Amino acid sequence: MSADERGGMSGDERGGMRAGKHGRMSAGGRGRRNRNQPRELRVNPVACQAHGVCIELLPELISADPWGYPVIAPGPVPPALIPLAERAANSCPTLALLLMSPD
Amino acid sequence: MPQADPPGPRAEPRTGAVARLLAGPEQRSLEDHLSQHGPPPFADIGRGGTDTAALITAVERAGLTGRGGAGFPAGRKMRAVTEAARHGGPFRSQTGTVVIANGAESEPASAKDRRLLSHAPHLVLDGIVLAAEAVGATRAYLCVHGGPEMLRDLREAVVSRERAGLSRVPVQVVSVPAGYVTSQETALVGLLNGTGARPSFVPPRPAQRGVQRHPTLVLNVETLACVALIARHGPAWFRELGTPAAPGSALFTISGAVTRPGVYELALGSTIGRALEEAGGPAEPPQAVLAGGYFGGWLPLPAARRAQLTDQSLRTSGAALGPGVLVVLPQSSCPLAEMARVTSYLASQSAGQCGPCRNGLPALADALGHVAFGRPGEDLLRWTDQLLGLVSGRGACHLPDGTAGLVASALAAFSDDVRQHARHGPCGRAARPPVLPLPEPPPVSPVAVPSPGGTP
Amino acid sequence: MTLTSAALAPALPGHATALVVTSASPLWYTTRATGLIAMVLLTVSMGCGLLSSGGYQRPGLPRFVTIGLHRNASLLALAFTAVHVVTTVTDSFVSIPVQDAFIPFISGYRPLWLGLGAIASDLLIALTVTSLLRTRMSYRAWRLVHWTSYACWPVALLHGLGTGTDTPVRWVLIVTLACVAVVAVLIGWRLAVGWPGHAVARAAGAVALVAALVAGGTWLAFGPLRAGWARRAGTPPTLLSHVAPRPGPVAPGRDR
Repeated sequence: MSADERGGMSGDERGGMRAGKHGRMSAGGRGRRNRNQPRELRVNPVACQAHGVCIELLPELISADPWGYPVIAPGPVPPALIPLAERAANSCPTLALLLMSPD
Repeated sequence: MPQADPPGPRAEPRTGAVARLLAGPEQRSLEDHLSQHGPPPFADIGRGGTDTAALITAVERAGLTGRGGAGFPAGRKMRAVTEAARHGGPFRSQTGTVVIANGAESEPASAKDRRLLSHAPHLVLDGIVLAAEAVGATRAYLCVHGGPEMLRDLREAVVSRERAGLSRVPVQVVSVPAGYVTSQETALVGLLNGTGARPSFVPPRPAQRGVQRHPTLVLNVETLACVALIARHGPAWFRELGTPAAPGSALFTISGAVTRPGVYELALGSTIGRALEEAGGPAEPPQAVLAGGYFGGWLPLPAARRAQLTDQSLRTSGAALGPGVLVVLPQSSCPLAEMARVTSYLASQSAGQCGPCRNGLPALADALGHVAFGRPGEDLLRWTDQLLGLVSGRGACHLPDGTAGLVASALAAFSDDVRQHARHGPCGRAARPPVLPLPEPPPVSPVAVPSPGGTP
Repeated sequence: MTLTSAALAPALPGHATALVVTSASPLWYTTRATGLIAMVLLTVSMGCGLLSSGGYQRPGLPRFVTIGLHRNASLLALAFTAVHVVTTVTDSFVSIPVQDAFIPFISGYRPLWLGLGAIASDLLIALTVTSLLRTRMSYRAWRLVHWTSYACWPVALLHGLGTGTDTPVRWVLIVTLACVAVVAVLIGWRLAVGWPGHAVARAAGAVALVAALVAGGTWLAFGPLRAGWARRAGTPPTLLSHVAPRPGPVAPGRDR
C-alpha cells in the first residue's frame, strides 16, 4: 500500500488551496489583496526548527509543545490579530509559519 | 468506449467474493492479458480531445475511490491534474503532466499490490496509459518496493507492450527504498525529483506541482487497474457491485489468526464476517480484527462481523478501510504487547523531518511499552492521551495521525486489558509469537535525517 | 590647508611617521566617524545574528528581541555606511569617484583596502535587499545570500583597518579589537552548539577561525601598526610627506 493519508486531501476539501508563486503560501505575501478573507495560520513542520519566535510574538494563538514546537489554535485568525500574525510569520527564521487564505 | 450509463434503479448490491481484478488465471504475458480482458480501449482516446475527458467523467461516475489507503475520489484527482496543467502559469516550463503508479506497498500487513502486479500487471499498465492519456501525461513511473525479480518481470511487461505498440506513454519502473513513509505520494515525487523519498509539506500537492514541477497524478496500482476495467466496461458495470456510496470491489489482505490467509477480492459493503469466511474463518478463537492496516483501527469480535467494509462505515466505528487490510487477533495474544511492538516500529519509521513526530512518536511508543509490559498508572494514561493529541496533524505526512488513531482505537477497544494490566501487571499472553506483521528486521528508517540546524 | 596637530590621541611613540598636508574638512571627520560606527553596528548585527541562529534565549532576551536587534542594527549599519560612502565621495581632498565605492580595486587611493570596502558594501546591500524581500523569494536563495555575511563582516573590518587612518589610535584600536573579540567568541559558541550533524565542517570552521585570528593579528601588527603603512597601502605619493622621527607622542596627520 502506499502509506497514504487517512482523511484524504483535506486541502481540497477546504476549497482548494492554490499554490503561491513558489508553490507555497508566502508568509504574509499572498493574502493582502483580500483583506476580508478569513486567514489561518499553519506551520510547515519540515521547515520548522522550533526557534520559538512565533510563540513569543503570538502567544494568543500559538503555544509550545513539550519539545518547543508550535501548537496553533485551530480556526481562522481573528481580524484584530492579523497584523500580529503577519509579523510573526515574517519573523520566523525559517519562514515555516504561514498565514494562508483559502482561495 | 462503452457509453457511461446513468445509474439505474438500485439493485441489491452483490457482496462477498468476486473476480474482477483477479479474474482468470495469472496473466503473466501480454497475450494472456488480452485473451482475459480484451484489447485496451486506446483507439478511442486521442490527445487532448473530448475522449480523454470522457474517461475522467466515466471514472467520476463510477465513483472510484483510491485503493491505496486514502480513499480519495480518483476522478476528482484526475480532473485536478488536468486543471492544473491547463492553468500552468509562466513559472512552469511546460504544461505536460506526469503519472505515478504507486505499487510501493509499505504496509507490512498488505500484500494486494504485489498480488495484483503478478496476477494482472498488464491491467495496471493499461490503467497507467489510459490515465496518462486522459491527463495529458508525457511519461509515467511505476514505483514498487520489489526485489530484483519483480522489477525484472515488470520491465519485461513494459517492453512486451512496446513491441506490441501498446505503449503510447513511456513507463519507467522505479525501485523505491524500503520504509513505511517512502510510498507516500509526496515522498514518491521527492524520490523522482532526486531530493529523497521523504514526505514534503503540502501545498502544493503533487496534482498541482510534482515531478519536475509538473502536475503529477499519483494513483495506487489497484486504482489504475480499476480505471482500465471502467474504460472497458463502463461506470454502470463498475457500480453493479458495492454500495452507492462505496461502489465496486476491492482487494483485501486477510491475515492473522485465519485459516487461509491471503489476498481476496470482495465487493465493497460486504461484511467483515463474510470476508473472514472467505479466508476460511478464524483459526482460533478471535478477540478483535484490525481494519485498515497500521493507520486503521481495532474492532472487537464477534461484534465486528456485522461491520460493513466501506470507509464511511468503518470510520464511524473507529477503524478505516485503508488499503484493504484485515488482521485477526486471537484471544491468546496480548493486544497491548502487539500494539507496543507496532507503535515502536511506526516510531522508527519517522523520516525525522518534523519535530512533533520525531519526538512524539518515540515517546508514544515508550508509553505503550509501559502500558503493555509494566503497570500503567493514571499519570501514564493521561500522558499517553496528551501525546495522542500532541502528535496528530502536526507532521508533513499522516504517520503521526495514523499512529495516534491506531493507538487511540486500541486503548478504547482493549480498555479491559488496560485495566487488567494496571491492576496486575503484564499478562502472560505477551509471550506468544506476535501476530501483527512487521518487516524483518524492523528497519531503521533509511530516510531519517539528522537533527536540523542549518541556518547560517 | 593646514598641517593638523594633536588632533587625536597620541599615536604609538617612536615610529617614523609620514605626515601629510591635510584638510580639516568636516566631511573627512564624518567619513572616519561613520566608518567606525558602521563597523560597530555591523558587529552588533553579526553578534545578534549569531545568537539568533544559535538559538540563544534567556528570560530577559526573548528570540524576537535578538532578531529585531539584528535587523535594526543591520539597517542602521547600512545607513551609516551610506553616509560614509557619500562623504568619502564628496570630499574633494582625495579623488574617489562614486564607482570606486561599488566596484572594487579600481581606485587610485589604496586600491586594495578601499576595494575591500566596496566589496563589503556590495555584500551589505545584497544582504539587506534579500532580507527585505525574504518572504517573496525562495528561502534557499535567501539563505545562500545570507551566508555571505560571514564574508561581509571581516572584509569590512579589513577595509577599516587598511584604509582607516585611525587604526593605530589607541581607543579606536581597542574598539576594533573588542568587535573582533565579540564576533570571534560568538562564532566559536555557534560552532560549539550548532549544526549537530556536521562535526567535520564544524572542526574545519574552528580551525579557520583560529587561523583567521592569527593571520589577522599578524597582519595588523606588521601592517597598519607599523611605520610607512600609508605608503605601503597605496596612498598616492602626492599625498605623502616625510618627517624625521621624534621622541614621544606625535600628532597624527591624515596619512602616515
